[in-house]
Amino acid sequence: MSGGPVKAEAQAAAVQPRRNLIDAWLYGRNIDRGAKSRARVGLIILAFVMIYGVIAGRLVMLANEPGAHNARRPSADAVSTARPEVLDRRGDMLAADIKAPSLFGEPRNIIDVDEAVELLTAELPDLDAAELRDRLSSRKGFVWLKREITPPQQDAIHRLGLPGIGFLVENKRVYPNGPEVSHLIGHVNIDNKGIAGIEKWVDGQGLAALHMAGLATDRQLKPIELSLDLRVQHALRDELIRAKEKFQAIAAAGLVTDVNTGEVVAMVSLPDYDPNDPRQALEANRINRLTTGVYEMGSTFKALTLAMALDSGKFSLNSTVDARQPLQFGRFVIHDYHAQNRRLTLPEVFTYSSNIGTAHLALALGVDYHRRFLKKMGQLDRLHTELPESAEPLVPQHWGEINTATIAFGHGLSVAPLQAMMGVGAVVNGGLLIPPTFLKRTPAEAAALAKRVIKPETSAEMRYLMRLNVEKGTATRANVTGYYIGGKTGTSEKVVNGRYDKHKVLNSFTAILPADKPHYLLLVMLDEPKGLPETHGFDTSGWNAVPTGAAVISRIAPLLDIAPRFDLPPPDKLILARDGG
Amino acid sequence: MYRLLNLGVIAGLVLAAAYVYDIKYQSTLRAERVAKLRQDLRRERDAIASLRAEWARLSEPRRIQALSERHLSLAPVRATQFDDFDSLPQRPMPAAPDDPIAATVERAADAPDSTGSVNSPATGERQ
Repeated sequence: MSGGPVKAEAQAAAVQPRRNLIDAWLYGRNIDRGAKSRARVGLIILAFVMIYGVIAGRLVMLANEPGAHNARRPSADAVSTARPEVLDRRGDMLAADIKAPSLFGEPRNIIDVDEAVELLTAELPDLDAAELRDRLSSRKGFVWLKREITPPQQDAIHRLGLPGIGFLVENKRVYPNGPEVSHLIGHVNIDNKGIAGIEKWVDGQGLAALHMAGLATDRQLKPIELSLDLRVQHALRDELIRAKEKFQAIAAAGLVTDVNTGEVVAMVSLPDYDPNDPRQALEANRINRLTTGVYEMGSTFKALTLAMALDSGKFSLNSTVDARQPLQFGRFVIHDYHAQNRRLTLPEVFTYSSNIGTAHLALALGVDYHRRFLKKMGQLDRLHTELPESAEPLVPQHWGEINTATIAFGHGLSVAPLQAMMGVGAVVNGGLLIPPTFLKRTPAEAAALAKRVIKPETSAEMRYLMRLNVEKGTATRANVTGYYIGGKTGTSEKVVNGRYDKHKVLNSFTAILPADKPHYLLLVMLDEPKGLPETHGFDTSGWNAVPTGAAVISRIAPLLDIAPRFDLPPPDKLILARDGG
Repeated sequence: MYRLLNLGVIAGLVLAAAYVYDIKYQSTLRAERVAKLRQDLRRERDAIASLRAEWARLSEPRRIQALSERHLSLAPVRATQFDDFDSLPQRPMPAAPDDPIAATVERAADAPDSTGSVNSPATGERQ
């Protein structure tokens, strides 16, 4: 039998020399079991080399994968969630996280509860002993004992050497400026979740999801840059506090916006609260009056009505309207505060703040036109900004002629003051409606959002009227030397028990700065200011809101880089001639 | 042939084991160092954050205004106190170097004024 394969092999070798060569290499010239097994060992070596080669190659691939080394596990520290810093437009800090240790207990590991309670209450006197005993006697594995203690307290407790008592480092939110920026920035709860203002908005931007996943613990978050200028905010708040005390007003509010970008540079609503102690925020009197409150804006609305009249093309600055007698609607009569009892030109309607004149203007254009115009100016819909708190305007359900007549001079339609300022901003900035924002915005971004609502010429005419009103109208006390201010006053009686009360007024002053080429818009509101001997007992806007506005402007104009100018030509030359109005 | 191969493989194994041990040792060292640096970084960042918060609290406008009202006789800038560069007068020509009296006067004029508390113009008393 053994001769057979040899013979066959010799035959094959004769037929296929190559095959023979491979066989010879694999099995040797003389085939035998030793050669075969060696060949198998060789094959196994080859197989193992390949398998280990694959493993080694895969290891090299894994090792070279970018970021594989940086996969971070959430650390055990910083239980409470990290939040980004909030900065003002110049980089000053408004809110930040600092690390604070918190005290916890593991009741199962505590040997002597009485001793622990005794020692801990000695170290932290504000801990309630009975509650502490309850917590430490429970069957739970983990209980919080006190959140956010100071480092010296931590050291002292650490030195007590109590078993089952430990510390975790948590993020604590601090607001270094205290009440200065309260309503705008909002506040957080004990778990560092935003519950009001910009803080809540930040949570809505995906931070809440990060918190849920436990990923925002120690991550470097990008700071939030607000449009606010802390120096302007302080100056505004300081002057408003003075005015509120001086005129014994129940509330005061102020707003500075950039009319060309819609950025809010300062926003104050008094009384405010300290975000470091958010319990104060619950008091009803401390709401943000500029976004959460809605008000009948009074004569400030006349700016919108006049802009509508001039923009319609039916009226020009030389047109006159009949203000000879009060306007009568059934039992309702519209009077003028500064009654002239004659035909008034449009500039006179504005500077005498004639209710009858503005009502006539709106009626001449019709109810539908008026309503469409206010809709276009964003006065009839809820204004959405970054702040979660906002109020819907109170629009009359049946909008008839009488509503148009009263809304023309700012009664019968309640809007949020921030919303009204967006409208006035559009009237003076060249006719572009730009939604307000609390975040930094570039002019290019603003241009993308802007919507043309009135003609640029109309806007120039309105700037002229605002300036005229400061030179010889109701706002002469705002004529700050060196700063070319334009403005409109507003005095609206508040509704008490369904009737307008003559002695409860809401005063406002809207100013543009500078009037020939507005950059900033200022609103000052005083709620129920009282007449003083030095104001001759008057409580109208010209006697309190306007001087306050003037004081604010003379303080903030240098901060806003507005150079004082003197000896300027009269407004009809400076504003109207240049813009060709 | 196999003996040679076996020897080569054993030598390779020993070398590889030694190399792997070395790398493992190095990487453990470096990982420890990374962890320490990372912890240092975090501590530094926390310290920076709390110092920045402290600075913001100390430099807040309310506090600065209160301090300024208490200790300084400065008042807010009025519009009339600004001026532009065009209305600045020309700088006077420097005195001739060979005139010792003029040089002394020049030095005295260029010396910085003291910037401590100033006398109130109205009362002449220190405030």
